[in-house]
Amino acid sequence: MDQNTVASISGLDRADLLRVLGGLPFGVAVLDSERRALFLNPALEDLTGFSSAEVAGVPCRHVLRGSFCLHDCPCPPRGEACLAGGNRSREGTLINRNRRKIPVRLTSLPVTDRSGEFLCSLDVIEDLSALKDMETRLSVSASPGQIVGRCAVMEHLLRILPAVAQSDAPVLLTGESGTGKDLLAEALHRLSPRARESFVRVNATPMPEALLDAELFGQAEGPGGAPRPGKFQLAQNGTLFLSEIADMPLAQQGRLLRLLDERAVLPAGGDRPMQLNVRVVAATGRDPEDMVRQGLLREDLFHRLNAVRLHLPPLRERGEDVPFLLAHFLKLFAAKFRKPVTGFSDEAQQQLAAYDFPGNVRELRNLVEYAVMVCPKDTVGTEHLPLPLRFPLAPAPKAPFAEASQPQPDQARKPARKKG
Amino acid sequence: MGKQILVTLYRDEVAPRFDLCSEVLLVTVDATGHEVRRQDLVLASSGADDLCDLILDREVAVVITGAVEEEHYHYLRWKRVTVIDGVAGLAGDALTRYLGGNLDPGAILFPRLSHA
Repeated sequence: MDQNTVASISGLDRADLLRVLGGLPFGVAVLDSERRALFLNPALEDLTGFSSAEVAGVPCRHVLRGSFCLHDCPCPPRGEACLAGGNRSREGTLINRNRRKIPVRLTSLPVTDRSGEFLCSLDVIEDLSALKDMETRLSVSASPGQIVGRCAVMEHLLRILPAVAQSDAPVLLTGESGTGKDLLAEALHRLSPRARESFVRVNATPMPEALLDAELFGQAEGPGGAPRPGKFQLAQNGTLFLSEIADMPLAQQGRLLRLLDERAVLPAGGDRPMQLNVRVVAATGRDPEDMVRQGLLREDLFHRLNAVRLHLPPLRERGEDVPFLLAHFLKLFAAKFRKPVTGFSDEAQQQLAAYDFPGNVRELRNLVEYAVMVCPKDTVGTEHLPLPLRFPLAPAPKAPFAEASQPQPDQARKPARKKG
Repeated sequence: MGKQILVTLYRDEVAPRFDLCSEVLLVTVDATGHEVRRQDLVLASSGADDLCDLILDREVAVVITGAVEEEHYHYLRWKRVTVIDGVAGLAGDALTRYLGGNLDPGAILFPRLSHA
């Protein structure tokens, strides 16, 4: 069987047939009964990186280089098994000439003459990259991502999150530093119908008000004369996350309130408002009611943002989550660093259980990362824990905002818990 | 000082895929390029990571293989292993050509049909 086999199919002349195959938007290979390549159409040439001429006569396993080629070929050489029927589609990967692994679906179609004699095989190869990317995006968007927790408060939060994400109402996230407000905001975005649009994080760090104004709301004429979009314009159709609403000066808070009411923004120096479709998620590590009392947060803005309020509890109030998170991060970092670490020694567990993690989940995560990094064995011992945990310092004064938001002195530092 | 050459195998061919190869040919040559030892190793399982470990454990200097993913290619190169990848042909032919100083990455050693 040689490449002229192609010409004998269906009475078409060879050039016509190759022209038809050449115009198809997916890869096609014509293979002989020994599964040697006779022809690759341009789409398959692009996918594999091989030209039809250079691989004519080469076994297809060296051209397609598919994961199914060696042990699960849908149409093995000499055709008998191929003609016997069965599923002739395979999903897998190929590695192209540029050493890129590409997810593909291969469907092998045997071509026979009128007497049923095998002539050649038409192998159709579809590039599934876009489909796989979409599946990955959907699976990521359908989960709350890196937020994990088993205590009742976190379970409730994770349960209501998808419903909250479907709304366009502003959301106020509260919780101490390190509790995961940023992750929660990202999860809200991923679970929302806006997931395919931008998620823009704004850190309103202290800066001159005019500069902050331009940064947030854009400029009608930026450097060079062209309009410069602000963070709100960049978040058009998506979500804007204000990571610390308390850092925003009162003047910008007023503009934000108008934006939420009118759904339009006037860039600095401009005279025409721009319509916006942005969901605003704001966060603060302080007590928002207390900020209103102190005059740091406009009361009208607070009520507007407080339409939906989600509170992330500090780790010391998530008792049963501590061992769960320790195990979760241990597994994560053991895999990341490729180390055989599988658990904590009893002594290490006792020390960790007695610690109140003032830096919350972020501190716990960093602590486990360090322990896994320095542990040469399969069990993390006390000697692998960071020094401050092994030799606790006298309790440091709490950060001012934490004191403001946690006025109950009896809860500021929980006494060491006893294990068991 | 000799060196070790590893050829990934599929039957009597160079394995079309590095990550799916379950058998390798390990050839030791002396300083003059003469073959002094030949070993066929059947691997417990196929996998690019395990194969990279084997290559480094055995202090292999040259790998002759078919398609290899970029990540593993660059890893081996970074570990100073010479990788001649994309080779399509019989393993014996590929080895002979390498020892003759005549094997390039992407070499197709199978007989080819001429296009009409």
